[in-house]
Amino acid sequence: MVEETPWQQALRYANRANPYPFYEELRKTPVARQPDGTYVVSTYREIVALLHDPRVSSDPKKCPAPGAARTQGSGEPAAEPIRQVLTEPNIIISDPPEHDRDRRAMMPHFVGPPPAPRWISDLEPEIRRIVGGLLDAMQGKSRIDAVDAFAYPLPVTVICKVLGVPLEDEPRFHRWIETALDALDFGPEAASEEIQSRQAEGRQAVQEFGRFAAELLDGYARQPGPGMLSALMNADGQDARMSKGVLASNALLLIFAGHETTVNLIAHSVLTLLRHPDALEQLRRRPELIVPGVEELLRFESSVQFWHTRSALEDIDIAGTTIPKGAPIFLVYGSANRDPERFTHPDTLDLERRDNQHLGFSQGIHFCFGAPLARLEVQVAVGEFVRRVRGPRLVEDPPPYRHNQIFRGPRHVLVDIDGISA
Amino acid sequence: MRIVVDLNRCQGYGQCVYLAHEVFRLSGQEALTYEPNPDEEQRLHVERAAAACPVQAIVLDRLDGTEGSTTP
Ligand code: HEM
Ligand code: SF4
Repeated sequence: MVEETPWQQALRYANRANPYPFYEELRKTPVARQPDGTYVVSTYREIVALLHDPRVSSDPKKCPAPGAARTQGSGEPAAEPIRQVLTEPNIIISDPPEHDRDRRAMMPHFVGPPPAPRWISDLEPEIRRIVGGLLDAMQGKSRIDAVDAFAYPLPVTVICKVLGVPLEDEPRFHRWIETALDALDFGPEAASEEIQSRQAEGRQAVQEFGRFAAELLDGYARQPGPGMLSALMNADGQDARMSKGVLASNALLLIFAGHETTVNLIAHSVLTLLRHPDALEQLRRRPELIVPGVEELLRFESSVQFWHTRSALEDIDIAGTTIPKGAPIFLVYGSANRDPERFTHPDTLDLERRDNQHLGFSQGIHFCFGAPLARLEVQVAVGEFVRRVRGPRLVEDPPPYRHNQIFRGPRHVLVDIDGISA
Repeated sequence: MRIVVDLNRCQGYGQCVYLAHEVFRLSGQEALTYEPNPDEEQRLHVERAAAACPVQAIVLDRLDGTEGSTTP
């Protein structure tokens, strides 16, 4: 039996609640070649350099050996089925110039027209109303699940409204997303029978999800309606309209990215604050700290632990290693955000941390498209939770985690409470 | 309140504009303009904008003793 690398160990489900000791080990080799040929980058400086390096592609089609997730001994790389199904590109897996053109075409339909795009700010009352309703519904309860009853409903309701996706369809796409995420595995457990047996289902789920997005767009082509998808579908030809396939792929990306990550950040924020009573108390006394606080919470427990579609277009010399042309590159944001070379006392939660230029939303051209919305949602949700929930206590620590390694987050966060303030 | 944006650092990401459109504007090709002395009532929005700037280019005064007054 060959010994597992720190990266392989970090990916094991048993270590999902606390991958950080393995990241610390991993950072001793900032750019670490894995047995399958993937180059895993774990330090802040090197990740930022690669994010701004035009020799790095995000397009998996440009990776001749897309064995990014190939598992030793097994023929079937666990990340492949989903890629095979998603035949049309979206912005997260595109390079310039297509990436920039499509992102620029989508942005005003998300944030509002220039020069003073105000749609995100204008969502605040609606976000407050939803959060208020979720907290009101906890009245009279002594135990709640901060994931199912709080973290999940907000982002999904908001993204449906923004995009123009009927909320009634939520149970369907929720199931497709869960199924696809459970089939994705980059670690030593990918070869297990259990994960292998989920592959077919995962593939089918992505297919159905894609069909759903395409049908939604067809509907809006016949009959325009509210929201971003209808607007994009019916946009004037001026800004190089996207093909329907590309639009459907981007719609799928937005529905998915638009809620999964935000759910995990709200859930992790509640969990982290309950583990740090001093920080919780500080936030109660000084509610305005929620703004820098959310940045720190995202640094501390990053919702996107790493990204897996990049590869080298040429040989790249970095940190004493050469990443050869064609090699897959994983950027481990969750590790960079705990890099002591960049952040003093990185394992300490400091809601007032200065110079907190974390990589929770990445950097460079793929900087998170939805960041302003995500920030607003999490600031309001966590701020109101802290203000209104009386005597919150964690029931289980660590809580059970979801399977997925990229979109890392707790499956449930059970909290005992004394009541809900007005 | 007073703010300064280090326009040498600013990359025109626009993140500040989306969270405080009354204070920050993107005019033309990714050029940022802003109101250096916004009303105190804009403080929450300005703080959100400063926290959201990916290159931390926005500096605001924290010296005017308003701590705790921005409760949403
Ligand atoms: C806390 C919540 C969120 C986190 C932590 C997060 C994180 C990220 C990260 C790290 C990336 C870069 C991936 C890469 O390395 O290429 C990204 C890209 C992206 N995110 Fe988010 N995200 C969040 C919420 C959202 C929301 C609410 C939306 C949609 C409304 C969204 C849409 C996107 C899109 C479309 C991209 C691709 C951007 C591009 O390639 O140009 N995200 N996000
Ligand atoms: S968020 Fe920062 S980088 Fe972006 S436009 Fe505003 S000041 Fe410039």
